[in-house]
Amino acid sequence: MKVRLRSLGSLAPAADVEHLLRGLPWPLSGQDEGPLEIDSTPCVDVVRGQLDAACLLQRLPSPPAGEALLVLTGHDLFLPALTHVFGASLLGHRRGVLSWCRLQLAPTPDPGLGRRMLIEATHELGHALGLVHCPVTHCAMHRTLWPEGIELKQPDYCPICRDLLRRLVQ
Amino acid sequence: MRSSLAAWFRDEGYVVSTAAGGKQALEQLTGDGADILLVDVKMPGMDGLELQRRVYELHPGGASRPTVIIMTAYAAVETAVQALKEGAYDYIVKPFDPEQLSRLVRKAAERYTLLSENQALKQRIEAAAPHLITSGQGGMGRVFEQLEQVAPTETSVLVTGESGTGKELLARLLHARSGRRFGPMVVVNCGALAQGVLESELFGHERGAFTGAVGRHRGKLELAHDGTLFLDEIGDVPPKVQVDLLRVLEERVLTRVGGNTSVPANFRLITATHCDLGQMVERGEFRQDLYFRINVFCIELPPLRQRPEDIPLLAQHFLALFNAQTNRRIEGFSAGAMASLCNHDWPGNVRELQNAIERAVVMCRGAQIEQEHFPFTAATPDLSLSAMEQAHIRRVLAACEHNVSLAARTLGIDRVTLYNKMKKFGIDRP
Repeated sequence: MKVRLRSLGSLAPAADVEHLLRGLPWPLSGQDEGPLEIDSTPCVDVVRGQLDAACLLQRLPSPPAGEALLVLTGHDLFLPALTHVFGASLLGHRRGVLSWCRLQLAPTPDPGLGRRMLIEATHELGHALGLVHCPVTHCAMHRTLWPEGIELKQPDYCPICRDLLRRLVQ
Repeated sequence: MRSSLAAWFRDEGYVVSTAAGGKQALEQLTGDGADILLVDVKMPGMDGLELQRRVYELHPGGASRPTVIIMTAYAAVETAVQALKEGAYDYIVKPFDPEQLSRLVRKAAERYTLLSENQALKQRIEAAAPHLITSGQGGMGRVFEQLEQVAPTETSVLVTGESGTGKELLARLLHARSGRRFGPMVVVNCGALAQGVLESELFGHERGAFTGAVGRHRGKLELAHDGTLFLDEIGDVPPKVQVDLLRVLEERVLTRVGGNTSVPANFRLITATHCDLGQMVERGEFRQDLYFRINVFCIELPPLRQRPEDIPLLAQHFLALFNAQTNRRIEGFSAGAMASLCNHDWPGNVRELQNAIERAVVMCRGAQIEQEHFPFTAATPDLSLSAMEQAHIRRVLAACEHNVSLAARTLGIDRVTLYNKMKKFGIDRP
């Protein structure tokens, strides 16, 4: 499954994006496609100073058949009910968005940022391809609510999620 | 927001249903019910506070009452505080921090589980309460009346009766029917322990109080806090321990052996003895002040020979019990076996009967228990009419506490006839 990686707004550190592209697990294969040209202004909540992830997902173009789209952004994302989210996806619609805003725990260069981005990108792409959250704590599809918790996961799917993903992709 | 929250909680593993307003929520609650309600303060038709009130009207208390969490905007926090005063579990301000929201609902779920388990355990305790097997006639009827009267109170109870009459069972019944039934019931057999050991067992000890006291030990009196303390064979308590016990009963605090701090001791005291404590007081063997303290209410359990009508009931009960324990299917007793049971004197009372049935169940190879399965039926019982008449008169006299007029009325004969029969059979009044 080819993953088109697009950026929105300021660019993520190149080394971390490189780490993400190299580390995506089977059956994902990433390719950097450069900045995404869409007008995200209607999705900006000026009062909260954040970007509405649900609104943004609706505005993303549909990827070609057999491909998935992941947008990387430095904007802080939120959903109307929640203060923030690390990322969001349209379940099974092969579209997702990931913010590194809250994944950065130390000033640039944050040595752990690349790994956290890779794990959460794997997570959001899993949703985009139809996977739901997984109770296995080291699986990339396990839900984490705080950035430190991401460190407990692996940038890969557990055998059950991988098997599900294989059938979804086929 | 409703649908995104529902999806969020489904992902967390919860079973979620949503409602657009208070009325719809109430309709759903009367149908499927819910354990946790996440309620917005502002809703069309019926606001969150009103919904909470209605829900609490439907579920006034207990584990079935849903846990309510109020969702509110920052500006309406005062309303949420009002909801807390009216019984809401907690409130959360919109927009929600994902971590905080998850933790709050998880804690509410844990609380609900604990409440449910607590209620289930209480029901199991109630169901597991012991019960007396008796026809309720004769002396046992009086015991039942006394039990019903005194069990719900805080009164100290002295249970007397011969060995094996069921004094501990009665104590457990008193505990099970009291307000302390969900607290501990601590049993101490005072007759089985030497003075030093009994003192330490009852009052506990501090580390280093004596050789071998390697750590702090909480005594039975302390362990019975908020429950019931049953002191069996209280007549065997040595004088020194009687003094210490009296002090605890008067002051409701105790000091561990070797310690100097007071520990609260809030327990209900039930004591039992086979001795005549009144006579022991007269002989100076038991402290009078302690006797008055423990003998606020006395229940005397009659020996089994004074309630022969209970023997068949008890025999059937023990047969069912041992059938279940040994996976046997013995149907009952032959007429001769039952006659043997009814004619036996049972000096060991119910305990002896229980042991006899247990032995008979082991010995029995057929469908019913026969006379030869009991050790006391080695000699053929005298089943003549005269012997039966004599045994029956003895039983009735014992049941009537040797009141001849009452016994004669019970037997349906006049007093003179009864006196003549007593003379004929050599039955003396005690």
